[in-house]
Amino acid sequence: MMENIPVLSLTILLPLIGALISFLLGKRGHMAKWVALIFSAAAFILSLALAYEFVVDPSSAAAGEIEGYSNGYQYYESHVWIEAIGINYIVGIDGISLPMFVLTTLLCMLSIIFSWDTDRRPKEYFGLMLILEVGVLGVFVSLDYFMFYVFWEIVLIPMYLMIGIWGGPRKDYAAIKFFIYTHVASLAMLIAIMAMYFEASLGTFSMEAIATQSVDFSRGMQVAIFAAMFFGFGVKLPMVPFHTWLPDAHVEAPTAGSVLLAGLLLKMGGYGLIRVAIPSLPSGAEDMVVVMAVIAVASILYGAVLCLAQNDLKKMVAYSSISHMGFVLLGYATLGELGVVAGVFQMFAHGLVTAVLFMMCGVVQHKCGTRLIDNLGGLAKKMPIAAALMTIGFLASLGLPGLVSFAAEFMVFAAVFFKWGLWIFLPIIAVVVTAAYYLWALQRSMFGPMTEKIDLSHVKDVDWYEGLPVAILIVLIAIFGVFPYLIFSRIGPAVEIALRAFGGG
Amino acid sequence: MIPIEYWLVFSSLLFCIGAYGVLTRKNAIVVLMCIEIMLNSANINLVMFSSYHSVLHGTVDPSGQVFTLFSIAIAAAEVAVGLAILLSVYRRYQTIEVDKINILRW
Amino acid sequence: MLEYAWLIPVFPFVAFLLISLLPKRTLSWEDGAGYAIGGAAGALILSALVIGDVLAGNTMVGDGPKFTWLVVADIEVTFGIWIDQLTAIMLVVVAIVGTLVVIYSGGYMHEEAERRRRYYAEIMLFISVMYGLVISDNYLQMFIFWELVGLCSYLLIGFWYEKPSAASAAKRAFIVTRVGDIMFMAGIIILFKYVGSLDFANLFGDEGVAAVPNDMMILATALIFGGAIGKSAQFPLHEWLPDAMEGPTTVSALIHAATMVKAGVYLTARSYPLLVQAPDTLLFVAVIGGVTALIAATVALVATDIKRVLAYSTISQLGYMTLALGAGGYLVVYADSAGGYSAALFHLMNHAFFKALLFLCAGSVIHAVGTNDMRMMGGLGKKMKITSLTMLVGAIAISGVPPFSGFWSKDEVLAAVYSAGEFNSLFLLLWIMGIATAFMTAFYMFRMWFMTFAGEPRSDYHAHESPKLMTVPLMILAALAMTSGFVLFIGDGFGAFSGDSISELFHGGHHESAADILSHIFGDPLTYVSLVLAVMGILLAYRMYYVPGFDRSVFARGLSGRLQKALENRWYISRFYDDFAVKVVYGFSLVADAFDRYVIDGIVNGFAFLGARSGNVIRRTQTGNVQRYTSLIVVGLCLLLIFMLYIVPWGGW
Repeated sequence: MMENIPVLSLTILLPLIGALISFLLGKRGHMAKWVALIFSAAAFILSLALAYEFVVDPSSAAAGEIEGYSNGYQYYESHVWIEAIGINYIVGIDGISLPMFVLTTLLCMLSIIFSWDTDRRPKEYFGLMLILEVGVLGVFVSLDYFMFYVFWEIVLIPMYLMIGIWGGPRKDYAAIKFFIYTHVASLAMLIAIMAMYFEASLGTFSMEAIATQSVDFSRGMQVAIFAAMFFGFGVKLPMVPFHTWLPDAHVEAPTAGSVLLAGLLLKMGGYGLIRVAIPSLPSGAEDMVVVMAVIAVASILYGAVLCLAQNDLKKMVAYSSISHMGFVLLGYATLGELGVVAGVFQMFAHGLVTAVLFMMCGVVQHKCGTRLIDNLGGLAKKMPIAAALMTIGFLASLGLPGLVSFAAEFMVFAAVFFKWGLWIFLPIIAVVVTAAYYLWALQRSMFGPMTEKIDLSHVKDVDWYEGLPVAILIVLIAIFGVFPYLIFSRIGPAVEIALRAFGGG
Repeated sequence: MIPIEYWLVFSSLLFCIGAYGVLTRKNAIVVLMCIEIMLNSANINLVMFSSYHSVLHGTVDPSGQVFTLFSIAIAAAEVAVGLAILLSVYRRYQTIEVDKINILRW
Repeated sequence: MLEYAWLIPVFPFVAFLLISLLPKRTLSWEDGAGYAIGGAAGALILSALVIGDVLAGNTMVGDGPKFTWLVVADIEVTFGIWIDQLTAIMLVVVAIVGTLVVIYSGGYMHEEAERRRRYYAEIMLFISVMYGLVISDNYLQMFIFWELVGLCSYLLIGFWYEKPSAASAAKRAFIVTRVGDIMFMAGIIILFKYVGSLDFANLFGDEGVAAVPNDMMILATALIFGGAIGKSAQFPLHEWLPDAMEGPTTVSALIHAATMVKAGVYLTARSYPLLVQAPDTLLFVAVIGGVTALIAATVALVATDIKRVLAYSTISQLGYMTLALGAGGYLVVYADSAGGYSAALFHLMNHAFFKALLFLCAGSVIHAVGTNDMRMMGGLGKKMKITSLTMLVGAIAISGVPPFSGFWSKDEVLAAVYSAGEFNSLFLLLWIMGIATAFMTAFYMFRMWFMTFAGEPRSDYHAHESPKLMTVPLMILAALAMTSGFVLFIGDGFGAFSGDSISELFHGGHHESAADILSHIFGDPLTYVSLVLAVMGILLAYRMYYVPGFDRSVFARGLSGRLQKALENRWYISRFYDDFAVKVVYGFSLVADAFDRYVIDGIVNGFAFLGARSGNVIRRTQTGNVQRYTSLIVVGLCLLLIFMLYIVPWGGW
């Protein structure tokens, strides 16, 4: 059905058109949200169609006829862009990028719905959101290092502006910190890309072409390049100790910004590692396994412990992201198919769950005017639906079976035990700590007697535009929790290809 | 012919005198004059190499000397612009001593 | 019939969906009670059919319908159903107690107008996932439901969430059981590595068992039992259960007495094929069980909250079951007999009935009096005849007086422990602990009964008998508490029936006649030891709490005074955990937070500061003096010339 249509390019283009229209609305700024909704919804529908048509089973007969399938990519498009230095426009999607791709279009659409009542400079707000969507989508489908880098940097700017313009009291500090931190990281990545380009000396930036050469680089070269890439992607992930930009950015960012930041931008780091760093530089990855594992476990435990100490709901959720993204890194560090698949699935799961959490923090902020746990209490009585949604979100995040995170966490633990044996007891402690900080926060903010510290008499329950996105996400969390097979079956073959260099995983 | 070393030493001396003046004198007009001296040392070199070139190769190639004329013309224009700037500076600050005119610092 | 067993959890789950999602106006009929009873009854009927099938000798072990949960690499995780005699026993418990509690709730929760709906939804979800746990055919599936019953427990303990104590107890219950859960998870991951599958069919087969190295088998089984320690409130993770009494009494009866806390025992029993490979673990299981039984019983001696007495009693009885399982494993390994295993399951079933009965009676009392404190009660017997009589039945049953159900199973448990002493003398010590526990059980149960129903009212209340909706389930449960012990004699007997589920582990298969069993029990002098102790306990309680004028203050002095203080503070275990959580863990997190804020972020901000500062310093070089710039240019040019002309050729570049 869609063989002859450049679906990926179209999906990337739609939000871009939407953004341009939104910027050009002039005095009709109140229309911006409709423009944004229509274009993001169109992109979402297109991505759904794409996911539906995606060939799951690589061995099926149809797979042989798809161009570029040898590397697992479908909807492959390749055009020359700048011939002189070998820059091409190459996009393609495989089982690793597919969940991320759909997640991106979904979260962007839902955050646009969630920001329905934004009346401060709406043209710019919604336009920037769409630009962000373009950038993230581009990162997830680019198969050319140059394009990858360009899209990667495109993402930074709208996020910087969102924090800087629509942010909280310390927005300037947070925005600059976010920008410089992640920009330094992308420079490390750029150096790594350049190193690979010149070392491979193929005169092309194509990821697939370079990957065929880079697996044979000398071990020292691979380790050096991998280290640079690991730093570049790891800061985005974020990994301890390069994580402090995240809580600040989240605390200051507007809710939708936080949703996209945690739901998508963090995934770019994890995606980069598995798309670029690990498959292209197998020896480098092998030498860095211990570093990766130690950092991952440190992130998991350290993030979890820090959550306990937080008084700001949103900051707590931000630290929990560090902890949960640590599972992604830990899964990757096993360098086995089980762990890597689980890591990719954890990214998807975390994207869904963390969006719910940040949205609910936003709801509390909007309705009560504060997110400080000390000032909250007994909200369940006033806003039962919000309390229920928040409880489900917290439970999903603490890895309750039947909800989406559990499958990922369990498989990561299994992979860790397979590889490192009884070291499993270190990261597994985080499961208890996670339960502790979520439930404790729930107890103090939602349950107990109603607080006297803030005026709750006019507090209303969630509005439709807040409840609807959260409800949609929760339904998805439940569906993929009960049927993780739907995602695993798509990630699996792609990861198998990505790990070919490791001798079949 | 006068040996080439004489010329080179002469123009180097001229250049050093000019540079010394540029670096040490306070009066901007004197600095400008010193710059002219440095320029002229370069002109001497051009003329000298041009004539040596013609003699040694037995060809007539006046391009070096033409270039000198070009340079002198430019220098004249430059002096005009420079003096004009100095005049404006003097009007604004009542001085043309270069170490007093340091508002472009930090 | 068995292949439709997966429908059992579906009934309550549909009820849960209906109750939670139907619009408020259409729901009604007491806000969902009708749907709840319907769902529970549907599951009950289906369970009865399945149990009938199992009684007829059919089982479905590993050959039922499968559902693929996920596939990664060469690992495939499927879910299915596993029906054997052990499943059937659990189904009996869950189906009967679940249905009766839901009916009883119709009366008990009547006044919770706004909240009934949430209550019924959560109870239905619980019953559904509890059935799911029972019929799971692999450890991962079991773990999933295991966590979900924990979730329901959390939600229901915190039912009155505006009470700080309830909100705190709910959280505490979830976190403490989660400590056990991660051990469970680690245990099954170990098995997963060596066997490559978590299906019981693969794990329990000879190949599966052989694939696991011996030390890993000990570790894995101990960790899996760790899950049971959390869920079944065994020492040292038992303190959440008394706190869990903050929930509605029906919840305590269903979740925290009859079903969910039994899940740990069920898990241990289910893991028998693995446990018998690791006798060290069996010993560990038995010791934990014995210690738990004793410690919990001692605390129950002084508790004044009627529900806490029952909660500690539950912990103590769960300890009994665990002890029996530990001893039973030894019997399977060394004596080729399933006696202890059957005894544990027998006690599990009987205990579910009489403990649910006791809790529901307590609920009836609380409903009437409006307090949990037994010191405020007294003299209720006249006003609440049915409740007091049915509770008396429960108390007699748990105390172990024949012919009520508790006697038969408790005797079997103690006999199994004693006979295991033949192979490891530690069991004799555990047997003494068990006997002491039996004595204390009889005492505190009757202490509770006398304090509640006998004597004169100690505070001002207007008690009345509960409505029919509540008393009828009480009477049914009382009848079960009286008679459920007799299944020992029906057909081949309970022992043979339950033993069949682990029939591949031993060869004995004793099919005794009813007369044999009777003579076995009453021919054994040990039976009379426990019987006499139970009667003594009852008489002591009668002397101390019924006959007026007994001066109890003698216990408040000296050594016994200190002991009493320790008991009233629950052996300080709870306080230790609180201190650990607040001072150690939270303190550590505060230190880590400060570290993050000032050290890590300090370094980051330090770099920014350094950049800004160094720029500030370096810009001073821009003096604005043209001649200085020029001098620098000249010097630089000279240096460059020297470098190019002399240093580069000298270095040979």
